[in-house]
Amino acid sequence: MTDLTQTNLTQKQVRERIAARLASRHRKEKIFRGFGIASIAFGVLAVLVLFTDIISKGSSAFVQSQIQLQVNYDPAELGIDKVDQESLAWANFDGVIRNALRERFPDVTGRSEKRELYSLVSSGAGFDLRERLQNNPELLGQSETVWVNADDDVDTYVKSLSKSKDGFLGRTSEQKAVWINALRDSGELKKRFNKTFFTNGDSREPEQAGIRAALVGSLFTLLVTLVLSFPIGVAAAIYLEEFAPKNRWTDLIEVNINNLAAVPSIVFGLLGLAIFINFFELPRSAPLVGGLVLTLMTLPTIIISSRASLKSVPPSIREAAMGMGASRMQVVLHHVLPLAMPGMLTGAIIGMAQALGETAPLLMIGMVAFIVDVPHGITDPSTVLPVQIFLWADSPERAFVERTSAAIMVLLAVLITMNTCAVWLRKKLERRW
Amino acid sequence: MDMHFDQHISRQFNEDLESLKTEMLEMGGLVARQVADAVDALANADSELAEKVLQVEEEIDRCEMELDEHATLIIAKRQPAASDLRMVMSVIRIARDLERMGDEASKIAKMAIALTDEGTAPRGYTEIRHIANAVRKMMNDALDAYTRFDVESALKTLAEDEQVDMDYRSAIRELVTYMMEDPRSISRVMNVLWTLRSLERIGDHAKNICEQVVYLVKGADIRHGNKKNLR
Amino acid sequence: MSTMTLNAGPAAAVGDSTAEQNLVNTKADIKTVGSPFCDDAKLRMRNVNVFYGETQAIHDVSLDIGRNQVVAMIGPSGCGKSTFLRCLNRMNDTIEGCRVEGELSLDGDPIYGAKVDVVPLRARVGMVFQKPNPFPKSIYDNVAYGPKIHGIASRRAELDEIVENSLRRAGLWNEVKDRLDKPGTGLSGGQQQRLCIARAIAVSPEVILMDEPCSALDPIATARIEELIDELRENYTIAIVTHSMQQAARVSQRTAYFHLGKLVEVNDTETVFTNPEHELTEAYITGRFG
Repeated sequence: MTDLTQTNLTQKQVRERIAARLASRHRKEKIFRGFGIASIAFGVLAVLVLFTDIISKGSSAFVQSQIQLQVNYDPAELGIDKVDQESLAWANFDGVIRNALRERFPDVTGRSEKRELYSLVSSGAGFDLRERLQNNPELLGQSETVWVNADDDVDTYVKSLSKSKDGFLGRTSEQKAVWINALRDSGELKKRFNKTFFTNGDSREPEQAGIRAALVGSLFTLLVTLVLSFPIGVAAAIYLEEFAPKNRWTDLIEVNINNLAAVPSIVFGLLGLAIFINFFELPRSAPLVGGLVLTLMTLPTIIISSRASLKSVPPSIREAAMGMGASRMQVVLHHVLPLAMPGMLTGAIIGMAQALGETAPLLMIGMVAFIVDVPHGITDPSTVLPVQIFLWADSPERAFVERTSAAIMVLLAVLITMNTCAVWLRKKLERRW
Repeated sequence: MDMHFDQHISRQFNEDLESLKTEMLEMGGLVARQVADAVDALANADSELAEKVLQVEEEIDRCEMELDEHATLIIAKRQPAASDLRMVMSVIRIARDLERMGDEASKIAKMAIALTDEGTAPRGYTEIRHIANAVRKMMNDALDAYTRFDVESALKTLAEDEQVDMDYRSAIRELVTYMMEDPRSISRVMNVLWTLRSLERIGDHAKNICEQVVYLVKGADIRHGNKKNLR
Repeated sequence: MSTMTLNAGPAAAVGDSTAEQNLVNTKADIKTVGSPFCDDAKLRMRNVNVFYGETQAIHDVSLDIGRNQVVAMIGPSGCGKSTFLRCLNRMNDTIEGCRVEGELSLDGDPIYGAKVDVVPLRARVGMVFQKPNPFPKSIYDNVAYGPKIHGIASRRAELDEIVENSLRRAGLWNEVKDRLDKPGTGLSGGQQQRLCIARAIAVSPEVILMDEPCSALDPIATARIEELIDELRENYTIAIVTHSMQQAARVSQRTAYFHLGKLVEVNDTETVFTNPEHELTEAYITGRFG
C-alpha cells in the first residue's frame, strides 16, 4: 500500500500501459487456445485413423465364403453302418464332400486337377458334416443340400473380388478361379455370416479359427483378477488411509506401491513364472495363474485409485460420525466406504481394462500356447484375447490379417463396454454431499 | 487502564469516535461560555449579553441532537463494546447534562434581564459570584478530566460539589432571612434565589460529567452514591 | 484495493501496526484473570497443555464450565480455542502427534486416560461443527444414526419417537416432518445446522460443543440457532467457540478469551463486553487488532 502511493503513475498512465499490452495478451490467448484445439484434433484424428483401419480390415472377417454342396450321406462311402460315437469318429466325411464336388464338376478328371477341386472346400468341412449327422442320425443314407466353409484361399480371393475386378489370386490357380466364378454365378458360393469366428477356438486354418476360446479365457482370467485384486486392494487402501499410523514404515509402503505401479508388466510375468508355476507348481497356461499375475499387476493401480477416492471423502463426514461416537470401523463402513465406492469401482474397472489388454506377463506363464479347446474352468489351459491377437498377427496366412483386426474389434468392444460400465456405476452410486 | 481510541483496525471507526468526542467537547466549551456569559450578564446588568445567551441556547439544543444522532449511528454501524461502548454511552449522557446546563444558563440569562429591568443591585450578588466561580471551575475541570481521561481529577472535582451545595444552602438561609427582614424585596430576591438554584443545578450536572469520566475509564457506575462499584 | 488506487491519500495503516506490536509485546507472561472456576462445574479442566508435535498449542489452561451454562470461547484465529474445545470430547485424538496434558473431567469422570473409552464419552459430549455436515442420508437416518450405533432404541417406534423429539427440540420438526426420507443435504444451510444439532441431541448428551456453528450461515439462520442455543441451555451444558463477538455476547453467560494458546480472561459475559479486566480482551473485543 505504502509503496504504491509513492509511485507517481496517474490513472491515465496506468490505463495506457494496460491498453498497450492488451492486443498481445489477447493474441497469446488465441494462440494458446489454438494449440489446445490442434492437439485435440490430432488426438481425434489418430483415433479415427486407427478405427477406420481396424474396421476396414476386420469387418470382412465377420463374413465367410461358403459353398453349397449336394451331399449324400452314403453309408458305403462313409464306411459306417450305424450312427454312433465310435463309428462317426472313423467315418470318411471328406470322401462324401469329394463326391459332392465331383458331381458338381463332372468334367474334372486329372489327379492334380481333382486335388485342386477338393481344396475349394475347407479341410474342416468334414467336421461340420459329422456334427450334422450326429445330431440328425436319420440322415444316414439320405442326401441334402448343405453350406460348407470354403478354403481360406478361396475366401481371400472372393473377398478381394469386391475390391478389384480381377481380384487377388495369391495361391489360387487360374483353374480354381474359373470354378469359383462358376459357383458364384450360380449362387452356390456366397458370403455368409461367419458363425465359426465366435464359436470356435484357435486353428491353423483361418476359416476355422475363432475367438471363443480366447474370449472365455480372458473372462476367466479377469474373474480371478477381480475376485482377488478388488477386495485385497480396497482392504489395503482402507487400512493405509484410515487406520495405519503415518510413520516411516507406511511412507515406505506407499512409495513401494507407487513404484510397483510403474514396474514393467513383463516383470510380473517372470515373478508369476518363478512363484506360481515353478514354486507352487500351479498348472501352466491356466487362467488361475494368469489371474494371479494380473492381480499382482493391477493391485497397485487399485490401491492408488481407492486411496485417492477415500481421500476425496470430505473429512467433515468423518468428523460428524466420530463426533456422534461412532467407532473407527463404523465411520469407515457406514460413511466413508459408501462415499468412496464409486471412485473405487471406477479404479477397479480401469485396472481390469488394463489387465484385459495385457499380453507380456501372460506370455511368460505359457498362455501363449496354441490352444484349440474352449476352457471350462480356471485351471484349463487357455489363452486370452490380446495374446490371440498377437498369435494371429504372427501367422502367415492372409486370411488371418482380417481375423486379427476382427479380434481387435472384439477386444475394443469389451473394453468400451467395461468403461461404459464404469461411468454408469459412478453415475449411479455417486451421492452428493 | 490506558485509553486508546485511535488504535482500531478500522480507521473510520477511530475517526468516528474521535469526532464524537471532539463534538462533545466543543458543545462543552459552548455551554461553559453560556454559563459564564449568563453570570456576567447578571453581574454587570448587561441585558444585551443576556439576550445573546438566549439566542445561543438554540445552538446548544441542536448540538445535543447531532451528538445523539452520531452516537446512534456508531452503535448501529460498529456495535461498540467495552471502552468504545462506554465512550459512546458517556457522550450520550454528558450531552444531556450539557443541554440541561445550557437550559440553566438561559434561565440565569432570563433572571439577568428581569433583574436589570428592576435596576439597583440587590442582595445576594456576592454569593452568586462566589458560587458561579466554583461551578464554572467544576465545569471546566470536569470537561478537562474527560479530555484527559483523568479519573483522579474527576473524583476531586466530584467532591467539590459538596462545597457548592453547602455554599448554596447557606446563601439560601441568608437570603431567606433578608426576605423576612424586608418583605418588599421578596420578588427581587426570589430571582436571585432562582439564579442560585440554577447554578447549583449546573454544579450537579458537572458532577454527573465527572461520574461519566469514571464510568468511561473504570467501567464503574458510581451514580447515585454507588462509589463502592469503583474497584 | 491497494493495487487499484495508485493515487490514494496518505498511507493509512501505519499507526495501527505499531499499536498492534505494542499489544503483542505485552503478552510475555499471561495469567488468567477473572473467575475461571465455578461451584457447580460440569466440565472441569485444570492445567491443560496441548501439543502438536513440538509446538505447544494450549498453555496451562484451567477452566470450569458450569452446569446448564453456555460458555463462549472467543479469540483471534489460531488462539487455540477450537483446539481446546476439541479436547473436551477428544476429537483431537485423530490428529497425528497431538498430545493433551492436564486434568480434564466430566462430572468427576476423567476424560483422558488409558481406561477411558471415547465412544461413550462422545455420546455424553456431542459436537456441532463449523460447516453443517449432515450425512448424505435421509433426514430420518441422520438423526437416527446416533441412537442406532449406540443401541439406544430397542424398537422402531422408540426410534421414531427419539427422532421426532430431537427434531422438535432443534426446532426443525415442523419444517421437515413431511420429508423425513429426503436427503439431509437437500436442506438449506441453517436447516442443515439444526439437523446436525438434532443429530447431536438424539443421543441425549450432557454437554454440547459447538465449533463456530453459525459461521457459514446467514443472519436469519444464525438468529434461529442462537435462539435454539438459549433454549437448549435448560437441558444441556454448552461450550461454543465463535468468531462473532456479538454472538458470544448474545448467547453465553460466561465468556473466555484466548490469546496465543493462553486463557487470558474468563468473566461473566456482561463484564467482558462492557468492562473487561485484561487489556488484551479489551483490545480484541473493541477491534483493535485482528
